[in-house]
Amino acid sequence: MPDLVHHSPGSNGSSKQPFPAPGKPFSPEDEAALTEALKRCSPATVEAAVKFRKTGDPALVPAVVIGIIERFVEPDQRAKLREADDDVRIIDDLGIDSLTMMEIVMLVEDTLQMSINNDELRHLRTLGDIKTFIDCKIRGLPPPKPSRFLPIEHIAMVMPVQPPFLFLNEATVGANGASAKYKITGEEFFLKGHFKDNPVMPASIMLEALGQLAVLFLLEGGHGEEGKQADPKTIYFTGCEGVRAHRVCKPGDTLSLAIKPKRLKMPLATFEGQVRVGQEKAAFAEEITLTFGLRDIVVAPESAAAPAAPVASPVVSPAAPAAAARSITPAAAVSAPVA
Amino acid sequence: MSKVYITGLGLITSIGNDVASATRSLRELRHGFEVHPLSDRTGVLIHVVGTVKDFQVDSTDPEDWVFPKKYTVKREVLRGLGPNALFAYCAMLQAIEDARLAPADISNPQTGLYAASGGSPFLTHHLHERMQKIGVMRCSPLGIVASIAGTLNFNLVAHFKILGASCGFSSACASSLHALGFACEEIRTGRQQRMFVVGAEDCNTDSIMPFAGMRALSLQSDPNLASRPFDVARDGFVGTGGGAVVVLESEAEVARRGVTPYAEIAGWGQASDGYNVAISHPDGVGLHLAMKLALKDSGCAPEDIDYVNAHATSTTIGDASEARALKAIFTNPSTRPAISSTKALTGHGLSLSGAMETAFCAIALRDGFMPGSAHISQLDPACDGLNIIRATLPARPHVVLNNSSGFGGANVCAVLKRAN
Repeated sequence: MPDLVHHSPGSNGSSKQPFPAPGKPFSPEDEAALTEALKRCSPATVEAAVKFRKTGDPALVPAVVIGIIERFVEPDQRAKLREADDDVRIIDDLGIDSLTMMEIVMLVEDTLQMSINNDELRHLRTLGDIKTFIDCKIRGLPPPKPSRFLPIEHIAMVMPVQPPFLFLNEATVGANGASAKYKITGEEFFLKGHFKDNPVMPASIMLEALGQLAVLFLLEGGHGEEGKQADPKTIYFTGCEGVRAHRVCKPGDTLSLAIKPKRLKMPLATFEGQVRVGQEKAAFAEEITLTFGLRDIVVAPESAAAPAAPVASPVVSPAAPAAAARSITPAAAVSAPVA
Repeated sequence: MSKVYITGLGLITSIGNDVASATRSLRELRHGFEVHPLSDRTGVLIHVVGTVKDFQVDSTDPEDWVFPKKYTVKREVLRGLGPNALFAYCAMLQAIEDARLAPADISNPQTGLYAASGGSPFLTHHLHERMQKIGVMRCSPLGIVASIAGTLNFNLVAHFKILGASCGFSSACASSLHALGFACEEIRTGRQQRMFVVGAEDCNTDSIMPFAGMRALSLQSDPNLASRPFDVARDGFVGTGGGAVVVLESEAEVARRGVTPYAEIAGWGQASDGYNVAISHPDGVGLHLAMKLALKDSGCAPEDIDYVNAHATSTTIGDASEARALKAIFTNPSTRPAISSTKALTGHGLSLSGAMETAFCAIALRDGFMPGSAHISQLDPACDGLNIIRATLPARPHVVLNNSSGFGGANVCAVLKRAN
């Protein structure tokens, strides 16, 4: 299957203009065409879309967008969408492929009278990404920095924590938080003794994994002051509050980790964290606090960064080579296995 | 060299949407035609079509389509299908059930799929029109795979998780018999153990009407007169569509699975006219050679053949040319085979016809009858000396021959034998 999203030619229209376009009244013919275009969506979706086109009220947008996505999700997956939080991933969790994503975008464009170009489309991985992106467009605001997918090679390159004590297999870092996966293999050294003949992932390690994801967020989220970034040599754990474990996790389980920053002010960063296995809650921490310091961004020479491009995978944003260039030392950037 | 057996069939045709009903129609010579006017800008020109019943697929949006409830097709599958691929998909499900294949029998490196279709000109037309009117960014992302000629193999290979050989064949009306021939080779040489052979076509204005431009379609409005191969007054073919799937398996697989095959494919042959882009050679030289080669390949003599399912589409030139080729093969008047064209009942299915008529031959061998050549009131004198049967013969043939000819003078002939 060719990666059509990645290769299709550039923009299909300006994305700067706020919506709805001014000075175009919504005629009964427009309403009939809209209703026809949305004929396979729920009546609530049609109603919200019509109301949006009449009023331009951005509060209606989530209902329209979720309603359109729902129409393209196989019926047996729709319950998942209704229960979904913003972290649900369109492709991995809802089984929507990049071609269906295009169908969704076309219908969203028609319905909301906006245009989304291919470049923008590539960064939308989660339901939350889509909601935020469209909300920004409707309000005429610049879209937030897209979330980035980081493969294990990249994580291992930037993190101060290393195997066998690194509990992130892959991660996605965005402006408002980060998510990651870790599969419990059963080979983890501590499972030999935790417990005797009954390997169970220690809750303290799950908390550690959330802490590591918070470190990754500090390093990769781009939150430092101008020209500065979090220094991996200065990040330490300071405390946590309100930790609860809900589920015993064993070899074979894949932990879905998510953290969201609550307060971020040097030298402290506080996050909320949760761990799920599939749809089941496994652990929750109301607050995980880290201390951190800043350092100057080291820009790698052009020639060193060049071999990192091009990026093969469509889910890795074009920002990835830049991230390699921003990495800890020039030596690390030279050997950066980005793709 | 492994023997090749037919172990399963799937049929969505104008004369029946499963093997049992198509068999009944063949035996009782019930045609599948309806008065179904096709028009161009000058008005209605074509009146009779071999319609596919119980499938409403005249919308360009597959989610509007209505088809029998027993076939469930997911939206993500449906959006990449044209009408032809939907017919093929349903025929595929039938064939899998008929051959009693488990999922592991279908998805493995020793099982392949060869397919033939003219694509969906109906969807191509829609796609291009929308592209020019509204813009290509508002066209279905799967418009291409749903409409171009390889659509059957793209879709079926993906959805049935085929891991072996796969490709499409494009020799117009000879396509799916070419697919069958090369599928046999895959099994004979041991490169594959099992092959699905698929032929399918749309059944609508865009797939049928253009043949009126070359004066190949019958202009008759009476469904009983429109398709009459070998009749002196024939005036062209009746278009049809649908889907046919033939499951081929090696001797070893038949033994391993303990299934009873319909028939053996004993051999096949092909040859070309080298004559005209669209008109068959007046003496049927390519078809004559194809039959000779098929007989040689199967180790059969002309005297061994009991029944011929002719290509004869009901065109003036084509039928006469095939009659000459047949006369040149079957020279012994005491052992003349029964000959009929089942297109008198189904209409001409273009890329579908080779696979569909192979299925009919397999049914004839298993169920023990030879379907008659319907709608002949006065036999064309060009057929003098041939035993063209006008009624169904209740006798079980031992060896049958199936012909297909396509544009460019491509001719294919397959020889089928009783399995036991």
